[in-house]
Amino acid sequence: MSESPLVPPSSVVLVSGGSRGLGLAIVSDLVGNGVKVAAFARTVTPELTALAEKYPDQVHVGSVDVNDAKATQAFVKEVEEKLGPIDGLVNNAAIGQDSLHVHTSADQLAHIIQTNLTSPLVLTRFVLRRLLAKSLKGRIVNITSICAQRGFPGLVAYSATKGGMDSATRSLARELGGRVLANSVAPGFFASDMSAVLGQTQLDQIVRRTPTGHLTEPDEVVPVVRMLLLDNTNINGQVLVLDGAASI
Amino acid sequence: MSNTSCSRLQGMNSHALGSVVMAELTREQIRDLMGAVMKAQGKTLPAEDSADLREIGFRSLDFSELALRVEDEIGDELNFDAPGLRQIAKVGDVLDFIEQLQSA
Repeated sequence: MSESPLVPPSSVVLVSGGSRGLGLAIVSDLVGNGVKVAAFARTVTPELTALAEKYPDQVHVGSVDVNDAKATQAFVKEVEEKLGPIDGLVNNAAIGQDSLHVHTSADQLAHIIQTNLTSPLVLTRFVLRRLLAKSLKGRIVNITSICAQRGFPGLVAYSATKGGMDSATRSLARELGGRVLANSVAPGFFASDMSAVLGQTQLDQIVRRTPTGHLTEPDEVVPVVRMLLLDNTNINGQVLVLDGAASI
Repeated sequence: MSNTSCSRLQGMNSHALGSVVMAELTREQIRDLMGAVMKAQGKTLPAEDSADLREIGFRSLDFSELALRVEDEIGDELNFDAPGLRQIAKVGDVLDFIEQLQSA
């Protein structure tokens, strides 16, 4: 009997930046769907702690800085011991930007690139190495942004990192030959968080130009991430833009 | 550094920071530079600090140009995030912001 060509639904998912906002919503949703979930963030919030306490056999959390490669790799091994091999990765941890390029220090540029591009790639590499060594299949979802495709002032480095992750997603899909499905989810601006970067005038303008008439909410992103991790869709190497058609 | 910059430096306030001499521009010197930014666009900077930036046509990129000119004069970068910029509405706000950046 030949091996199934399908990549099975992820059973143990690692979510970076899972302590609040979209990351926390993704963690909660996956847990609610019976998936084992590991999440880390620099600061573990009471909400994430509560989830871990409520589902001790299903959730593992840790206070880890995504830029600390040793710590993230130690956390991955911890997760494997507690929950089993990781076969799903959501690269969600990122920092924003709210400064014109000419007034952003070189150190801050390096920090944004490290956090939003280099560290996720290093984490992805580590997770993939362990997954492939165990003859597993898996799925990767990179949370990127509409900024990767459209220009917005004050977000030059941030946009570059998100575009970099979208590009990496396509190459990963090719490179992994169907053993791992790699996709990006690129939300438009949330009403909270990053939207503060734009200012009310720009936000109002985006809402006016959005056919659905509202900014994207985390709850609208969560089902798409779940689909990419759990459903059989044959979606691979794609960037799914979730912005109510604001950018088309 | 341009001749204009050299001449401006003569009137600067200076203080020693370790072995490095940091120079801060006075409010009037910042105003002069702001006037130069506007003059380059064929505009005139009003004398009143209460003048509205939108009315005189001083845009956010003009603020960037001013900050960069100040950087040239003091020999140091004045990096800053955008939220502070959004609060700036009048000429006096611009001068206050640059003064605060210098002393930060």
